[in-house]
Amino acid sequence: MPMKKLIQTLLLFFLFSLQVRAELAVIGNLNSPVTSLSKQEVQDIFMGRTRSLPNGNFALPLDFQELRADFYTKLTARPIEQINAYWARIMFSGQGSPPMTLPDEQAVLKTVSENKGALAYVDSKRVNPKLVRVLLILE
Amino acid sequence: MQRFMKVIFISMFIMHLSCLGKVFADEIAPRVSISGFGTFGFVTTDSDRLAFTRDRTQTQGASASGGITNDSRLGLQLDVDLTNAIHLTTQFVARDHAGDFLEQNLEWAFLRWTPQQDLDLRFGRMGADLFALSDYRNVGYAYTWVRPPHEFYANVPMYHYDGLDITKKFHLGEDLLSIKVAGAYTYNEVPLEDNLRVNLGAPATGVNMVYESGNWRARFSYSFLHLVTDYTSPAIEQLRDPLANIIFPDVQKFIPYYSPKNTDINFFSLGAAFDDGTWLMQAETSYTHSKYKLFADTASGYLSLGRRFDKLTLYALYGIAYSFDQHANVPKPIVDLPELDALYQTIDRSLNSNGVHEQSISIGLRWDVLPKVALKTEWSHYWFGNNGTRLWLRDTSGDWPEQINLWSLSMDFIF
Repeated sequence: MPMKKLIQTLLLFFLFSLQVRAELAVIGNLNSPVTSLSKQEVQDIFMGRTRSLPNGNFALPLDFQELRADFYTKLTARPIEQINAYWARIMFSGQGSPPMTLPDEQAVLKTVSENKGALAYVDSKRVNPKLVRVLLILE
Repeated sequence: MQRFMKVIFISMFIMHLSCLGKVFADEIAPRVSISGFGTFGFVTTDSDRLAFTRDRTQTQGASASGGITNDSRLGLQLDVDLTNAIHLTTQFVARDHAGDFLEQNLEWAFLRWTPQQDLDLRFGRMGADLFALSDYRNVGYAYTWVRPPHEFYANVPMYHYDGLDITKKFHLGEDLLSIKVAGAYTYNEVPLEDNLRVNLGAPATGVNMVYESGNWRARFSYSFLHLVTDYTSPAIEQLRDPLANIIFPDVQKFIPYYSPKNTDINFFSLGAAFDDGTWLMQAETSYTHSKYKLFADTASGYLSLGRRFDKLTLYALYGIAYSFDQHANVPKPIVDLPELDALYQTIDRSLNSNGVHEQSISIGLRWDVLPKVALKTEWSHYWFGNNGTRLWLRDTSGDWPEQINLWSLSMDFIF
């Protein structure tokens, strides 16, 4: 019994570390002319430095609650507390709002597939190429 | 002017409410969000002669028995994206501020229009961003210290203005340059000693430039205020009596000193900040040129360094402010009466004890205990020069300490 528990714990730990190391795919709408983005471009959009895609279209960045901390750490090398403090400054001084946060993967995929300017991120293994396009992989 | 602004705010609020119903019609726009920030703070000193205030707008000071009203505040913000180009923001901050609680604490109520990429026009009430932290100094969660540097920020009573500002962003490679110009009317109620209050109303204009490059941010700003409000008090009215000049020689020449009307204030500032995720640096320097006698010309600056250790940030801060106040020779009354002597003391104190000669060092710790909650503690030691305690609430003894210790504890959060 203790052995089984140990294996379970190790398995859980292994799965957890896999999860942490999972690649994230930055995804966009299939009808958008934008087919790829650089890390800098994604950063500019998600940090509110620009409100448009490189082709000039309106950008609609979306946060995914579950992967939010992981995404910003991969994108900016900063912990989520610093990202929150950054947005507190921007938002409460009336300069802009952080991306809208969606609660689950289904909502993320649905919103991106329905909005031409939408940008979001999901676990790279969970991308459905019939629904959304991968614009960048973050490791 | 006040009535006009009230009408605007009320109509903007109604616009906000009428948008709430539409939120369910479309998933993306209009998008309504309610958010907020707050601080529970406790501050205590080792003196009962000088009471600490966070800035000149506060009515209560903290002394040796401590105070919770100086740093504690609660802000609520309502944001509405009407379309991709039109946005409404309203923010109210409950805190200790002299004057009308509802009107003075309404910090933001504006409509933002983005007619083209990288161009923002805002109309309504906006935070006055004279210095780097000016327009978010209520949001403790957004900065490392318990409060913005005292020498730099406590002397500035202007929190917001009503008008228009235009911001244009220029992308220069990976760098970003933002230029903002503003034209507005600012109205701020500022407490004076002896339970008096002066209302500072002024048409204002300003420009500021922010340059962001990698981990660096540099900033220049200039603001100009032309004060238009007058000042009256029972003491001033007494002085207008023709008899006053006889028993109190030349006293009437000091009356205009009290009125802000038709005086100008200029604010200049230069600042830089660095943050690479581990190391933090921030420094600003400013010069305030004022023709208003109760608000002396002042130079100030600060430098702060910090180092993050995972969820902990250790920081040190040095600040200095020096005002170039000129001594006014107030003649003594020729009749020896207690009432006249009290009046003399009041005039002499208000004209000759309004200098800011202050330096301080602070050492503090911020602990990001949860993703949206930070605990902070800070120790500060202040030194005052001759006639330099204007940023503090003083007892009437005139015998104020030359040094003070301050201990602060706070919890900042956003939601």
